[in-house]
Amino acid sequence: MLEKGLRIAWQYKKYFGEQTAVDSHNRDKKQEFSSDFDLRKPLERQLLNSQNIECISTQDAFDLSKLQNHCLTFVSKLSMKDGINSNAGRIAIQSLCAPQCGYFEKDWDMLSFIRSLRATVQSSNAVAVITFPASVLSNSISKRWQHLADTLLSVRAIPDEDKDLAKLLTGYQDMLGFLHVHKVAQFNSQVPVILDASTYSLKLQKRKSLVLERLNQAPVEGSSGVSYATSGSCSSSKGSLLDF
Amino acid sequence: MAEGLIVRSLRDGSLPGEHAPALCLEDSLPSPLASHSHAVFRHLLASLLSTGTGTAVVLVAFHRSPSFYLSLLSPTFRNSIRLLDCYSDPLAWKSNHHPPPSSHSPQNITLLTNLNHLPHFLSSILHLAKDLGAQGHDRVTVAIDSVTHMLRHAPLPSVLQLLTNLRCHEKISSLFWLIHTDLHEPKVISSFEYISTMIASLQPIVQLPDYANANISASITSLEENYSNAKFNVRLKRRNGRVKLLCEELLIEQGSVKFSSVPSVSSVVAQNLIPKVQFNIQLSDKERMDRANVVLPFEHQGNGQNIEIYDGRRSLSESQKDPSSIKIGGLSEQKRGNNNKSEKGEIHYIRDSDDEQPDSDEDPDDDLDI
Repeated sequence: MLEKGLRIAWQYKKYFGEQTAVDSHNRDKKQEFSSDFDLRKPLERQLLNSQNIECISTQDAFDLSKLQNHCLTFVSKLSMKDGINSNAGRIAIQSLCAPQCGYFEKDWDMLSFIRSLRATVQSSNAVAVITFPASVLSNSISKRWQHLADTLLSVRAIPDEDKDLAKLLTGYQDMLGFLHVHKVAQFNSQVPVILDASTYSLKLQKRKSLVLERLNQAPVEGSSGVSYATSGSCSSSKGSLLDF
Repeated sequence: MAEGLIVRSLRDGSLPGEHAPALCLEDSLPSPLASHSHAVFRHLLASLLSTGTGTAVVLVAFHRSPSFYLSLLSPTFRNSIRLLDCYSDPLAWKSNHHPPPSSHSPQNITLLTNLNHLPHFLSSILHLAKDLGAQGHDRVTVAIDSVTHMLRHAPLPSVLQLLTNLRCHEKISSLFWLIHTDLHEPKVISSFEYISTMIASLQPIVQLPDYANANISASITSLEENYSNAKFNVRLKRRNGRVKLLCEELLIEQGSVKFSSVPSVSSVVAQNLIPKVQFNIQLSDKERMDRANVVLPFEHQGNGQNIEIYDGRRSLSESQKDPSSIKIGGLSEQKRGNNNKSEKGEIHYIRDSDDEQPDSDEDPDDDLDI
């Protein structure tokens, strides 16, 4: 949602947000997550230049070592805060394997970067979200990327002005596409995560807010639906660890 | 319709804050008309130039000499086009050995001699675009005759970066290029599709048969169709995030290109997208008729056969010989005026109302007045 206003598609952003400390009085109060974005407004540049946000671009880089070092320093700065683990670090990488990048042909370098990022993030108080266009990767490399994710989502476009779909789905006019949940993070638990539904529709309500809705359809027994291969117009995102 | 949509999108350009629309025109060997994909390219070029006074084109010529393109256009349009000549001497082989003659070259052709240096290439294109802008053309389209040639001289990420920089630039309103899909790996083709907003591909109408097994003589006549027609598949990425798929037919007659629309097959896409439902709650017409034909057990007297109640202990064939099995007379026997009629039990069932549905919720005991 935050990426809508940006013009340059391969900018890397890192957000370091201040989260209020959870003390004993507030423990019962539900944490407010900011999920209210007005999508009509573009993201302002001043927001990206604020104190807690570091923004870097690997547009001209030929390899990922600089980015990797940057992530490591960022995460080490997090752990230097005294004691209280109140601040979660967030790393957001957009279009990691975009074909315009200089390191696009180095498949294995990109994979090892993701592995090291995952290890860094798991051993600290941080999350990472990566989006990538799966269609530009070869099948085997794409499978390996997906395997490295703790949580795997994919976005699929829907045909425009399709009468059959309009009959089948309610609210087709507002729909932007489908969101499939392939994998959900599961740590330190033997209990599997069973989702109610694995396919959601992305709807834009009043052109302002993005809403995820389960697809209206007759109940499917038990299982979470048919699994899909990623299609040509997909981009996937992966994340790990904490919710925020 | 597809052609109209494409030309309109290229002509209109982008909204503020957007990248310029880009068309990727693909061809492949299985369609013999692929050699004529160039004709489609030229057709689009001509359409763009003829749409209005505002549109101008910077044509980057790799595949043919610039004078060839100029000869195709009528003189009225020659002012709206600037050509970057990457055909004559892209790597400066000729000019290194023989200094270029000082003869007068046409005003709208610029020679490029160092294709290896992509930033210079980019700045040459932008210079030509600014030139056209200065002359009063507010919309400049860049057309590249075959990106395949560009990829010979520069690596894929650099070419893509150049195209993306062109899309971002304020002077460029739209962009289109031609690519030969057989000459590149699938990864390369999908990368070009990734950065474009419209993808048009030429495909054969009749797929090439498996020569080992098929009947060759029949297939050759059907293959002839491939020489005059081709399928023109277009995939458009709309601003609302959805994708529009169009499939039309392409005809090339006497050097001119014609498009005709064919009913598109879009229902297949819809079926693949939505998870399949396990229940079928609706009744088909045949099922409805069969249901009306079912005679309920208490509405008839049996049809003369033994009622076989399988109790799990012995096989069905044995129970037929069992004298204690129930035998019920049938209506057919009654019609024949059988003398055994009085020996058989009869059940007369009279429905309360004929239009009462079999599964109605009304409890017949409600009528009792106790």
